[in-house]
Amino acid sequence: MDLRIQQEDKALVLAVAGKLDTLTAPEYESSALGLINEGATKIVLDMAELSYISSAGLRSLVVTAKALKSKEGALLLANVAGSVRDVFEMAGFGAIFATYDSVPAALEAC
Amino acid sequence: MTELRASLSVAARLSLVVSLFTSSILLAVLGLDYLRSVATLDAEIDRSARSMTRASANYLETVLMTVTRSAEALAIALETGRFDDAETRALVRRAIGRSRNVFGGGIYFHAKADQVTNGPRSDHYCHWSGNRVQCMGAAKGVDLWSRDWLRLPAEKGRAVWCEPYFDSDFGRILMVTLSVPFYRHEGEARRLEGVVTADLALDWLTQEVSSLHILETGYGMLLSPNGTFIAHPKEELLFHEDLHSIPEALGVDERSEIAAELMSGAPGVIEGASVFGSAARLYHAQVKPAGWTLVLVVPEDEIDDQVSSLTLTTASVGIAGLILMLLAIVMTARAITRPLCTLVAATREVAIGHFDTQIPDQSRGDEVGLLASAFATMTQELRDYIARLTTTTAAKERIESELRIAHDIQMSILPKLFPPLPDRHEIDLYALIEPAKEVGGDFYDFYAIDDDHFCLVIADVAGKGVPASLFMAVTKTLIKSTAKPGRSPGEILSLVNADLARDNDQSMFITVFCAILDLRSGELIYANAGHNPPIRLCAEGEAERLPSSNQLVLGLMEDVRYRDTEFQLRPGDRLLLYTDGVTEAMNLRDEPFGDQRLESELIQLASENARQISEGIVDSVKAFAGSAPQSDDITIMLLEYQGAEGQAERDSPPA
Repeated sequence: MDLRIQQEDKALVLAVAGKLDTLTAPEYESSALGLINEGATKIVLDMAELSYISSAGLRSLVVTAKALKSKEGALLLANVAGSVRDVFEMAGFGAIFATYDSVPAALEAC
Repeated sequence: MTELRASLSVAARLSLVVSLFTSSILLAVLGLDYLRSVATLDAEIDRSARSMTRASANYLETVLMTVTRSAEALAIALETGRFDDAETRALVRRAIGRSRNVFGGGIYFHAKADQVTNGPRSDHYCHWSGNRVQCMGAAKGVDLWSRDWLRLPAEKGRAVWCEPYFDSDFGRILMVTLSVPFYRHEGEARRLEGVVTADLALDWLTQEVSSLHILETGYGMLLSPNGTFIAHPKEELLFHEDLHSIPEALGVDERSEIAAELMSGAPGVIEGASVFGSAARLYHAQVKPAGWTLVLVVPEDEIDDQVSSLTLTTASVGIAGLILMLLAIVMTARAITRPLCTLVAATREVAIGHFDTQIPDQSRGDEVGLLASAFATMTQELRDYIARLTTTTAAKERIESELRIAHDIQMSILPKLFPPLPDRHEIDLYALIEPAKEVGGDFYDFYAIDDDHFCLVIADVAGKGVPASLFMAVTKTLIKSTAKPGRSPGEILSLVNADLARDNDQSMFITVFCAILDLRSGELIYANAGHNPPIRLCAEGEAERLPSSNQLVLGLMEDVRYRDTEFQLRPGDRLLLYTDGVTEAMNLRDEPFGDQRLESELIQLASENARQISEGIVDSVKAFAGSAPQSDDITIMLLEYQGAEGQAERDSPPA
């Protein structure tokens, strides 16, 4: 897994690449929680480069979203596609996450 | 060489190397010193022999010169003065009386009558007899002028030393005579008037020459001008033999040129002459007035003996030095390595676990002391580390043991009775979990709700470990207690979700597929909370996914209403329920097993029974993964609906 962080006007854009599974989810989780502790309230997670997500990965998204929600912020997902979208939808996550077709679209919605 | 070096102790190696170097240096120094000493010794002997030869020759010359001067003085007196017979005798007596070196002397007149002055003259001879000088007249009736000692000076017109001889007139006395002619000068011409003689007894000469000693057996000898032995330790040679008649006396037999060199008159050294068969060095010098040759014989053997003795001394010093040095080296090396050896012994004790072993020599100020204290520190660290490790290992073992027990309990709460309803023939069912190494959160469950309704559950908790397994156990228990007659799967999941989502701070969630089958009708009502949709394999061998609306997993939101879906199973239909551990099993190339492969494997196994299909799929997943580690539980449940009793026969098409 590879994580790129970019500060935009309205939100922090996190581009996650590779696999988000049992092995890599803790790393993502601690990075994201670190950013939230430093004051980030709105995070756009760019999943364009994400090739695989497991249930542990999904759980780390929930953890991030909850942490932001407690600070009255929000987690917005962009470019959820391919097999990641299949898993995402199968788990019914469309009901609890706002997803956008692109990072600009997500930033627009902030 | 390497093996030798490795097998030798440090002390032995140190001793070996240091002794090799130092003994080489010692031997080289001793060798050089030896060579120089030999040269010095040789030079010393040479110098001593030369000076001895020269000094003796000089002494002999001095004596001879005294005699010569006396005789010449007498001759001059006779040439210039006029003496009568009595005065002449008195002259001779006085001349002889002046020196004990001269045995005797005389005046012999050639012309018996002095026509000018004093009339007839007679010869006179005086000699020492005891402490007195006796004089006598000439012997009567003897033709003295035919003898060499008068004839030769008369003929040659100069002083002549004759060959030594035995004088028979005064007993057996070895004599040599100097004869000096004197003349009557008449204008330019001169006429022989007579000869003055001086006799020299040679006993003192023999003593003088035989007193020459060099080294142990070196000796001197004197040769007359024609080579006769005048003085020699072997008395039998004297006056009878010369260096040609006894050639072995000076090695002339082997090297004839020696005779010429000895007689040449020049001082010198002849090396390697064979004197009576032994090698010797001959130092020689001439005794000038008489033309004698003084020879000093230095045996080469003795020179060699001196050298050998020097060699022996040098070698003894060398060997003693070498032994002392070796002792010193060995003792030093031992002294250095002894503490190392005790340290090694202490190390061995530590190595077998005796950490309380006292490490010696820590207070030494040298490198060994540093090593010892470093080692003591290391031992202390090791002791602490092992103590910590023991504690940690015990804790870890306890945790692992508890995890194993947790896993066993988790597995034990899963039903294992197959077929589940042995007295009913509507269904066959088989389920299995191939657990991953770490405790996971998969489970399956099945039970009859009432006589006609059979409940199936398969679920997968997100994450692993004890939290996941606890969450799994809670969910399984909640579902079973909630699944009461009359409740649909959707209602069951809605109720269970409400319980799970309440106070779920950890954001744990679980995907669940829950279905209730009407055994009589084959009607399947199910609700899917985010789980992989099961695959239906119909009797004709085609596979399809059960239609599934994407509903949220359990545990995240409290107020979720799960919808039911109805599906009609036909007799012979098989339903494969599984968790993502199957489709997401990875091989070494990081490729997932995948949905497609699962479906085709299922079709391949279509002719097998429930158990064989389940195990066959697990086998093919394992074969696909190869040596890649299994990261997730692999859970499979296979249901075969055989239809209500007799229904299958009724519905099957006629043969």
